[in-house]
Amino acid sequence: MTFEQLLQYVASGLTNGSIYALTALGFTLIYNATDIINFAQGEFVMLGGLSAVSLHEAGAPLPVAFAGAVLTVTVVGILFELLAIRPLLRSGVLTQIIVTVGASLAFRTGALMIWGRDARPLPSFSGETPVRLLGATFNRQTIWVFGLTLVIVVALQLFYRRTLTGKAVRACSINPMAARLMGVSYSRVVLLSFAVSAAISAAGGVMITPASFMSYASGSLIGLKGFAAAILGGLGNPLGAVIGGLLLGIIEALSVGLLPGGSSGYKDGVAFLILVLVLFARPQGLMGGRIVDKA
Amino acid sequence: MLKLQGIRAGYGRIEVLHGIECTVGDGEIVTVVGANGAGKSTLLKTVSGILGIWSGTIELGSTAIHKKSVERIASLGVVQIPEGRQLFGPLTVEENLELGGYAKRRSGRKAHAKLEEVYELFPRLRERRRQQAGTLSGGEQQMLAIGRALMAEPRVLLLDEPSMGLAPLIVKEIFTILGELNQRGLGMLLVEQDARLALSLAHRGLVLERGTVVLEDTGQALLNNPDVQAIYFGQHGGRRDSRTESA
Ligand SMILES: Nc1ncnc2c1ncn2[C@@H]1O[C@H](COP(=O)(O)OP(=O)(O)OP(=O)(O)O)[C@@H](O)[C@H]1O
Ligand SMILES: [Mg+2]
Repeated sequence: MTFEQLLQYVASGLTNGSIYALTALGFTLIYNATDIINFAQGEFVMLGGLSAVSLHEAGAPLPVAFAGAVLTVTVVGILFELLAIRPLLRSGVLTQIIVTVGASLAFRTGALMIWGRDARPLPSFSGETPVRLLGATFNRQTIWVFGLTLVIVVALQLFYRRTLTGKAVRACSINPMAARLMGVSYSRVVLLSFAVSAAISAAGGVMITPASFMSYASGSLIGLKGFAAAILGGLGNPLGAVIGGLLLGIIEALSVGLLPGGSSGYKDGVAFLILVLVLFARPQGLMGGRIVDKA
Repeated sequence: MLKLQGIRAGYGRIEVLHGIECTVGDGEIVTVVGANGAGKSTLLKTVSGILGIWSGTIELGSTAIHKKSVERIASLGVVQIPEGRQLFGPLTVEENLELGGYAKRRSGRKAHAKLEEVYELFPRLRERRRQQAGTLSGGEQQMLAIGRALMAEPRVLLLDEPSMGLAPLIVKEIFTILGELNQRGLGMLLVEQDARLALSLAHRGLVLERGTVVLEDTGQALLNNPDVQAIYFGQHGGRRDSRTESA
């Protein structure tokens, strides 16, 4: 493999990896606030992509379709929390997790009825002509995806580190009752976590649709890979989620290039191989799991 | 003024508090003493809303608060420093303090001024403002717990065993500060195993035995009460040595 080919694989890995990173981050936000693993996370990605397709077909310019799709899915995330998660607060986390599995099926079925079976495309955000960088040619969409993902990650980081609301969310993930004793409304923190989690996953869905299309069924695989990425980075660790996602994307892409046969047949298996390896060898993930209160 | 009337409460089907009457006047320190398992922590939990009550009323001024949520009660100025301090260990000292003021939603200069006020009171917290709360010594953690509560500008402070696990010298320091805060008009409901120390600070005291108030008097009178002395000032009524650590 030449250096140029290597760069190509890495670039394509970063594109998918960004989406895994955003999905993994979505898992992390909900997990940290509630201890729930949201198995409907991938459906937020799918709904984001398909909503943008519809809005664009209805005549909305791409940026408007992007924003509209993110907004739509945010509302879906909020309703999901209010109608399915909140009423089960007393039934325990396990029941809530099972509900997310059911919700995932419901979202898929709904999407099938609205958008049909076909995978749908979106145009690239800024044309198809590739750009040359470091002696290699890159797809413009790759740069958009990676760039926007960075912006989202940095913005979230600032929110959670610098604002009082963000700190309150972190406090809730450490010790919800102590946070409530300071006047923090835990139920609002949970709602906010679902909203933000849905929003960033939807953004990922919109960004990946030009590169790899989106169908009603695409969400589950992306969701599982996002979950693998979150485990790889250390479940509950936001930075780990991002790094785990990007790493998973790159490993996947390289496996296509390096493994005999050179087809993408193995690609989807790689995520699960990594998932199993991490769970056996280093269950806390690369970056360590959620920091728990030892005070 | 905080007023509890006929408080019955418990866990599951087991009643722990059997009709408690208690008032904390403005600027008053009321101490509750009692053996392990008497229901002292349970009483504080009913006031802060962590534990719902089965019957009775809890009023702050003219507002009934016993049906309100934990966060609402905190926002109204009834601020609890829970048993074991419950700091946000991975967050910095300053972040813990900022969160203490969450209900006030201060920003900019006002937020800064309030922080400075707490740092004046606990200069050691200022030195350690960027340090993770979980890395502080026991004494510093208790100071942070108090500082965090003060950020909320409480009308009544609920304290659950502030001396727990601390060396005697540190306990003295903490109680001195509590006394100063009270001089400035802050009312407190104080639960404490170290009955002698707590009663000497208190205006009034209650003796709680298996969920019932068996004695109520001024702090001074209880200090001099032979029964109280016999039961709560002995070797075993004092601080639990196994939990003591140095600061
Ligand atoms: N979460 C709980 N679930 C069930 N029972 C509890 C719970 N917390 C306390 N109890 C019981 O309620 C009674 C009163 O407990 P509480 O913690 O109020 O005592 P305390 O006076 O604070 O004791 P200590 O001095 O040991 O802190 C005890 O019998 C205890 O076993
Ligand atoms: Mg107790």
